[in-house]
Amino acid sequence: MMFGIALIAFAGFAALCLAMPKHFETLLGRTPGPGQPQLLRVTGWLMLLVSLALAVQSRGWAHGLVEWTAVVMAGVTLWVFALPYLPRLLVGMAAVSALLGPLLVLSAG
Amino acid sequence: MKEGFRQAMAWLHTWTGLLFGWLLFAIFLTGTLSYFKEEITHWMQPEISHHAASPQAALEAAQRYLQRQAPASQSWFIRLPNEREAGVKVGYRDANGGPRGFVTQTLDAKTGEPVTARDSRGGEFFYRFHFQLQMPYPYGRWLSTFCALIMLLGLVTGIITHKKLFKEFFTFRPGKGQRSWLDGHNAIGVLVLPFHLMISYSSLVLFMYLVMPAGLMAHYGDDTSKYFNDLFGGGEAPKAAQVAAPLAPLPGLYAQVQALQPGARVGNIRVENPGDSNARVTFTQSAADHVAYRRSANWTFDGATGALLEQGKPESGAMLTAFSFAGLHMGNFAGPWLRWLYFCFGLAGTAVIGTGLVMWLDKRQLKHAKAPRVPRELRLVEVLNIVSMSGLLLAVASFFWANRLLPVALEARADWEVNAFFITWGLALAHAIARSSRRAWGEQLALGALAFMLLPLLNALTTAHGLDHAIIDGDWSMAGFDLTALGCGVFLAWLASKKLRPAVASAKLSRSRASQVGHETAQAR
Amino acid sequence: MTHKPASLTPSYRLAVASRSLAALLGGYLLASTASFCVAVSLPVAPVDATLIGLMLSFVFYVLAFIGCFACRDAWRAWLGVLIPSLVLGLLGALVHWMKLP
Repeated sequence: MMFGIALIAFAGFAALCLAMPKHFETLLGRTPGPGQPQLLRVTGWLMLLVSLALAVQSRGWAHGLVEWTAVVMAGVTLWVFALPYLPRLLVGMAAVSALLGPLLVLSAG
Repeated sequence: MKEGFRQAMAWLHTWTGLLFGWLLFAIFLTGTLSYFKEEITHWMQPEISHHAASPQAALEAAQRYLQRQAPASQSWFIRLPNEREAGVKVGYRDANGGPRGFVTQTLDAKTGEPVTARDSRGGEFFYRFHFQLQMPYPYGRWLSTFCALIMLLGLVTGIITHKKLFKEFFTFRPGKGQRSWLDGHNAIGVLVLPFHLMISYSSLVLFMYLVMPAGLMAHYGDDTSKYFNDLFGGGEAPKAAQVAAPLAPLPGLYAQVQALQPGARVGNIRVENPGDSNARVTFTQSAADHVAYRRSANWTFDGATGALLEQGKPESGAMLTAFSFAGLHMGNFAGPWLRWLYFCFGLAGTAVIGTGLVMWLDKRQLKHAKAPRVPRELRLVEVLNIVSMSGLLLAVASFFWANRLLPVALEARADWEVNAFFITWGLALAHAIARSSRRAWGEQLALGALAFMLLPLLNALTTAHGLDHAIIDGDWSMAGFDLTALGCGVFLAWLASKKLRPAVASAKLSRSRASQVGHETAQAR
Repeated sequence: MTHKPASLTPSYRLAVASRSLAALLGGYLLASTASFCVAVSLPVAPVDATLIGLMLSFVFYVLAFIGCFACRDAWRAWLGVLIPSLVLGLLGALVHWMKLP
């Protein structure tokens, strides 16, 4: 369950990163279309909030908050340090996470 | 004015970071190791094997032992085994025995007999070191707590100084010399910031009663024991009535606790006045069950009759806050994957400090790159950087090597393992003074790499718990230690290779870096 | 410190030393008086007031450090910690005295 939540949060941060035109261009090789950064930003924040809500719901406030913060820090650190070396792999992982995360959560919950 | 403020904070960040960085690196590294102190102890005392004994059986064995060994003692202490701690720990007050009049022993959970294992401080050494710094009480705690304050200050000034915190949130540019070091330092600082802030602040909370006596003065004067009684709800244990009454069987009381709090894991049991009619038995729920310490998770029984006397009073909001800080810092509630994350975040904190120290020196050395000799002050920083980082890692490795090589029957063996740690650290200092900076780094990192990479081999050659056996037995604690040591060695080898690159190539690199940094610092501002 | 000195003159070193002492000692004094004042004033149980006072003390210490190096000169650094300490100390003493039976 927590792994699914981690994946959703990971995808959320990836979206927030792509919402920055500088990173969008580096990672996807083109300039973002009109409204795309905004959409990515909203999606990103939404995914983070959803993952937080799921964490608290499944593990309670104390354990939920702590574990959520931990997986978020781990995910975003992995993203930032791997980004210069494996950008395409990471974007792929983010896409997979966006799908796999909710699937894992639904199957566990 | 705004620019002046940021500059001032950058200055403060840089200088407090330097002056306390060496000590903070040691505190963070040993503190990080402490998250696996039980596993380290297990590796260092492989003789204590994990027997799947029920808590009741372990408790019964402990009571039997203590009844035999210390029937007239004022108080007993029992710590039940769990997934990470193999033996039953018992202790009792004995004016004639042990340091500070308290004797401790580890029992085999199945047989109830004292384990025979090589004398070693195990992971407890790193744990104690990280807040006592091998200094007499209370100086070590004062110093480490002050370091925590400086760490907190460093985080706050770092945040203020980092102009592009949000703009460069996802930015890490490797292969660009000093720019990369700064990116890395900023990244592991910002991305793991919640952890760093929590760890620093909680360190202060843990010893606040010691370092901020003024806060206690308002309501408690200098009576800290009254403060602790109010806080933990303990109260003075009743004096012995001098009337003999056999102690109720502890497993029965354990069953009562289970009935009151189903599924609770029991951490510690304290017995006051065993064998007396005024005996008291207090069960404390394991710290693994809650994030915050819960004083309400304490049950006190009449030791003679077995009747429940009281449960710990509920915590107030302020108590829950303070206990949460303590719990978060200790991380006792963390299961395997979260514990590994704690370990990684601790390493991240260590790396923030380490990269800072390296950058401080690099920036200033560039100014003197053409000079024939390094100025005295920079040479001092150079040496301190080397000894506090690679030197410390060598000391840690030697602690483990000593554990496997020192004869089991050696007198004061545990002390000698600690001596090996400090002797190695001292030798690293001498080496750092004698050699040039680049060579000292390279040689110490290379030796460290070798020392860590060979630990699994040393383990396999000197015990029956080598990596292959451990994996077959499913002893993942033992295997995990060997594998982590191997990984650490590989990492150090990679660092060493960068330092030991041929001088010509690195000189070219330094010159190109120098011109790059000139461009970048102009752009960065 | 808004002025970047051209060189490490003795007066610069003195200013830095002075600010450092103000931060270290004055900051501790400020943290202590704040801690005492908070603990004695809060209308909650003594142990809770003490806990809150203790936990908040470090915020004051960090702020004092920042203030001592952000202000314009070393004199202001000292005044910046000593005056609030005095005020908080007097306030705390007053409340403490008023609460005595």
